[in-house]
Amino acid sequence: MDPSIRDGAGRDGLRQARRMSNWTAAALIAGTGVAAVALAHQASVAAPAATGNAAAGTAPAAGNAAGAGAQAGSGPRVTHSVATTTASGVTVITTTRTVNGKTVVTRVKHAPATADD
Amino acid sequence: MAAGARGLARGSADGTAGTVGRAGAVPWRRVATGDDAVAVAERGALGTSARVVVWPPGNLGLACAAADDVLAGLDRQASRFRPDSELSWLHAAGGGTFLLSDGLAEAVGVALAAARWTGGLTDPTVGDALVSLGYDRDFAAIGEDGGIAAATGGDGTPPGAAVAAPGWQLVRLDGPLLRIPPGIRLDLGATAKGLGSDRAVRAVLAAAGGQGGVLISLGGDIAVGGTPPRDGWPVTVAEEPGQAGQLVRLTAGAVATSSVTVRRWRRGGAEVHHIVDPRTGRPADGPWRTATVAAATCADANAASTAAIVAGAAAEDWLATAGLPARLTGHDGRVRDLNGWPGPEAGAWAPVPTAAGSHVYAAGPAMRPGTKPPGGGR
Repeated sequence: MDPSIRDGAGRDGLRQARRMSNWTAAALIAGTGVAAVALAHQASVAAPAATGNAAAGTAPAAGNAAGAGAQAGSGPRVTHSVATTTASGVTVITTTRTVNGKTVVTRVKHAPATADD
Repeated sequence: MAAGARGLARGSADGTAGTVGRAGAVPWRRVATGDDAVAVAERGALGTSARVVVWPPGNLGLACAAADDVLAGLDRQASRFRPDSELSWLHAAGGGTFLLSDGLAEAVGVALAAARWTGGLTDPTVGDALVSLGYDRDFAAIGEDGGIAAATGGDGTPPGAAVAAPGWQLVRLDGPLLRIPPGIRLDLGATAKGLGSDRAVRAVLAAAGGQGGVLISLGGDIAVGGTPPRDGWPVTVAEEPGQAGQLVRLTAGAVATSSVTVRRWRRGGAEVHHIVDPRTGRPADGPWRTATVAAATCADANAASTAAIVAGAAAEDWLATAGLPARLTGHDGRVRDLNGWPGPEAGAWAPVPTAAGSHVYAAGPAMRPGTKPPGGGR
């Protein structure tokens, strides 16, 4: 075989291999980028749910990290107090006295303003 | 969502008007808070008040229905004041071995775990001590007319001597199987409201298919779940309902308050309250009148706040060991913010840190659907 032909074929093969290599590298880079974006999106969606659900399970505390109170939720912005943690909301004043030899108790209930029964 | 919507009575399609909740249950009343982004409803329950806060607001109907089921179930299982409750059935049987419903088994398991965790500062065998002090019926059900309600002592006897708790170690729970000696009366008050809030949060989230967020308050013991609002749920910390208080934000977990300033009455010439020291059978008489504690779950917070009142002078050390953020208010009005609880320097709406891990649920029995209750309650 003519050496020039053989050389030409070798150069073509080398160019083809180099082109393939470039395309492979480009595909790998693009694929890695897409995967990274997808993973980042999944993480941002999952994070608030994991934090907020911690109080709800049968062994609810397992996923509840210390300091979670400092994390922000992705829900709506709420600017007014929605509940009050306080002592149980019923006060009863009871007095004891004796009537006809029997001890009786007089109880007056003072329900909180928020209770409806 | 379908299960939660079954049997709903609503004022409108999105649950934004009128009453909401399970048909036949006590209706929920809408509460305006100034924010349209969340819906709030409230009703009386378990001798106190219950509150549901949800976003999106359209979830209110199904949330109230889910909470109705939880509250009704807990009342049937664990009420000391309902003669037809499963707990009353146990007491009437006078000791022995019982197959509990899943719900009561969980409630007793949580109470026993709390007693173990707090070293007996809370103790479910304190029932007789409370009865001896005159706390023998539901506060919300007595004295409606302000008149003479009943003879004292539950059994008609005049005010008696203090009765120390027999001790939680005498009660054995193996899965749904409870062994209890004769003469022991259980009271689950140190954990039941917290348990109810935890259960309701779980039920609402299940009904909503995990969508949005929920806050449940049962007598001021608050649990949150789902996705919180931005910066967390705005919550007021106060000693009594209606008082102005500290404004904080809760993103996860729970917060509960115990206080000796409410549920007080006079007994034998002395003023008493409902938080009893199991070691003496007398009302706790430590330096703190109110304790607010944040924890991973509401049952944990409920037990810890009660334990802090009972612990008295040792409360700060106990809370530090437990690693729980807390606010204590003394009888003299002084306030102690502990373990990361936001102090005055943090300003309004500071976030409350949440402790990791539950001390009361891990030891509880696994839920076993289908177990038959002994007394028909479930």
